[in-house]
Amino acid sequence: MDKSSTYVKPRGLAAVRFFLALWASKLTVPLLKITRHNGTNFPGEVAMKLCPDFLKYVARPEKIITVTGTDGKTSVSNLLVDMLESAGHRVLNNRMGSNINSGIATSLLTGCTVFNRSRHDMAVLEVDERSSRRVYPYIHPDMTVITNLFRDSLMRNAHPEFIAGFLNESFPPDTRLILNADDLISSGVAPENPRVYFGIERMEGDVVACVNRLNDLRVCPKCYGELIFEYRRYHHIGRAHCCDCGFSSPEYDYAGCEVNTADMTMLVRDAGGEARYRLLSDSVFNIYNELTAIAVMRELGMSHGEIQKLTAGLKIVESRYKAEHVGNVDVIMQMSKDRNPLASSRAIDYVTHKPGDKELLLMMNNLSDEVDWSENVCWLYDCDFEFLADERVKHIICTGPRAKDYYLRLLLAGVPGDRVDCVRNEFDAADKLHLTPGTSVYMLYGADNRSLSMAFDVRKKVMRLAKEAAER
Amino acid sequence: MKIEVLYPEICNLFGELMNPEYLARCSGAEVVRTSLKETPRFVTEDIALVYMGYTTERGQEAVRDAFRPYLDALRKRTEAGGVTLFTGNILEVFGEYIETDGKEKIPMLGLFPIHSDRHLMKRYNSLYLGKLGDITVAGFKSQFGHSYGDVGEGLFTTTRGPGLNPGVKPEGVRVNNLMATYLIGPLTVINPPFTKYLLKLMGVEDPVLAFEDAAMDAYNTRLEEFSDPKRGFTY
Repeated sequence: MDKSSTYVKPRGLAAVRFFLALWASKLTVPLLKITRHNGTNFPGEVAMKLCPDFLKYVARPEKIITVTGTDGKTSVSNLLVDMLESAGHRVLNNRMGSNINSGIATSLLTGCTVFNRSRHDMAVLEVDERSSRRVYPYIHPDMTVITNLFRDSLMRNAHPEFIAGFLNESFPPDTRLILNADDLISSGVAPENPRVYFGIERMEGDVVACVNRLNDLRVCPKCYGELIFEYRRYHHIGRAHCCDCGFSSPEYDYAGCEVNTADMTMLVRDAGGEARYRLLSDSVFNIYNELTAIAVMRELGMSHGEIQKLTAGLKIVESRYKAEHVGNVDVIMQMSKDRNPLASSRAIDYVTHKPGDKELLLMMNNLSDEVDWSENVCWLYDCDFEFLADERVKHIICTGPRAKDYYLRLLLAGVPGDRVDCVRNEFDAADKLHLTPGTSVYMLYGADNRSLSMAFDVRKKVMRLAKEAAER
Repeated sequence: MKIEVLYPEICNLFGELMNPEYLARCSGAEVVRTSLKETPRFVTEDIALVYMGYTTERGQEAVRDAFRPYLDALRKRTEAGGVTLFTGNILEVFGEYIETDGKEKIPMLGLFPIHSDRHLMKRYNSLYLGKLGDITVAGFKSQFGHSYGDVGEGLFTTTRGPGLNPGVKPEGVRVNNLMATYLIGPLTVINPPFTKYLLKLMGVEDPVLAFEDAAMDAYNTRLEEFSDPKRGFTY
């Protein structure tokens, strides 16, 4: 299939309709700024309303990379954009917008001139898994990264097998897939497409049996036979084979090895050589994100030496992890993602493995849900709250609309009741913090806009209280 | 006392494995797990509760195939008053067939006089409020379709939200103490009165729930929310 065929130049009436849509939607961009509205989907929605085939006609860069998967797609996209821009590319991206079709339309329309010429030579687009069927008929990526597939919001994504089925039917047949060999769900997507795999060799702390509540692959995905893990990182991530049918994890084309979180380095080995990289984060999840980005850069033809230089100034996006020493405590914002048992489990695991005593403010509510209905709490029972029974977690405050659900969940997870407070109002909850000198205060918060805004407002109060406590 | 969880390797979505775990904590029962390749224990042993939870669409067919040889054993168990609880889309496995997007009819086990539809491009999410006698049940639904057929009074009588399908009040299916509901997730944890009812059926006298005060507090808050007429019920 000719890749350029997906970028069709409109003719006749279609051209009239398209350019009207392009110009009208472009006009909405400054209007939104003037009226201080944060509608990142809106220009794209306008464009697609006026011209339903807008994505077919709008100009795009020559090279397109899309990133999808349950978790890590934003981090991987950001890393790629930063590296590619540092390498001198003009990279179209949707980091400020949404990852559904209208958000992608917004990015494309803002990235082209009024005469429909792209201003960029590359695009890195984060694509929501559920939007695949509305995006890939029009956007023909050279490469697509699938970070992983786990159960996510059950209301939207049902389960990973469903999402894998969705992706199977979405990608153009010649799109090269960059896949996680340590995830036996996503690594099997679209088996006819060309592909390479990345993965991390055995690490310190790996296990064989699953210690997590959430395990999306308890048996062989082919025959329901017994899966034997050579090593397991967490949940279903690791290297495994089936005893009954012989199905097994693919070999790594890009292997992360000798991961050392003490000196913060990782060796990356592939057919073209190997190089040691600086780790951007000590969390395994972010190590996967970094390896994924390195694999993509290698696929783009860059040398290890070039990529090493590009990673030198990289950082993990601050909105997800923000630490500051205030008074006698560290105040740490840790995004956990509401309604997502995987992201929350990883965040909880990360927090409990950090050294020292901790105090937690649990506020992973989805405040947007609470406006019109009541948040579905099923995911709490797939999430590893059991890790919070660790004795170094000295105090937990459950807060927000679902505070009582969190409280019950923590008790069932084995957290002693005398370590838990339950306060409905988020700002009042901050008053309950002990702020014991030397403690790390973690705020675990949800990812919807209302929850983000609430979390950062509460953080201001926590910072003030920490400062006052130190002055007393 | 034993609780048997059927096919937990594929029937484990949405936190539902907490149901047998919680019931065990409230009763001291032993939880035994039976995989797809094993014979269910209830066929030969005294099992206080057989439980099976939500699975994938492919999993529904795997459950159908694995369970077919034991359908008569389940019938006998049910006639004898044995307690069984199926949650989520397992209900559909025991219906007559599932029709996918109006095209293919996938035959199912035919124990219940219902058939189901499945629309993979739609996800029906809702809150649910209903009654079982004087017990109020609050829960969540998230499914790709609904079921149709004469189920009498069903398991629950709907107060708000969809029943077996949006057009009817009965929710779920009940045959003696065999109970199947579309409600998903940790149903027993979030519904203490229903859990006590279930435990009594299982033979637990005067049951006391694990963390009963906290469970009741969360339950009462949810009932208040779900009873608020301003609260939206579909997502």
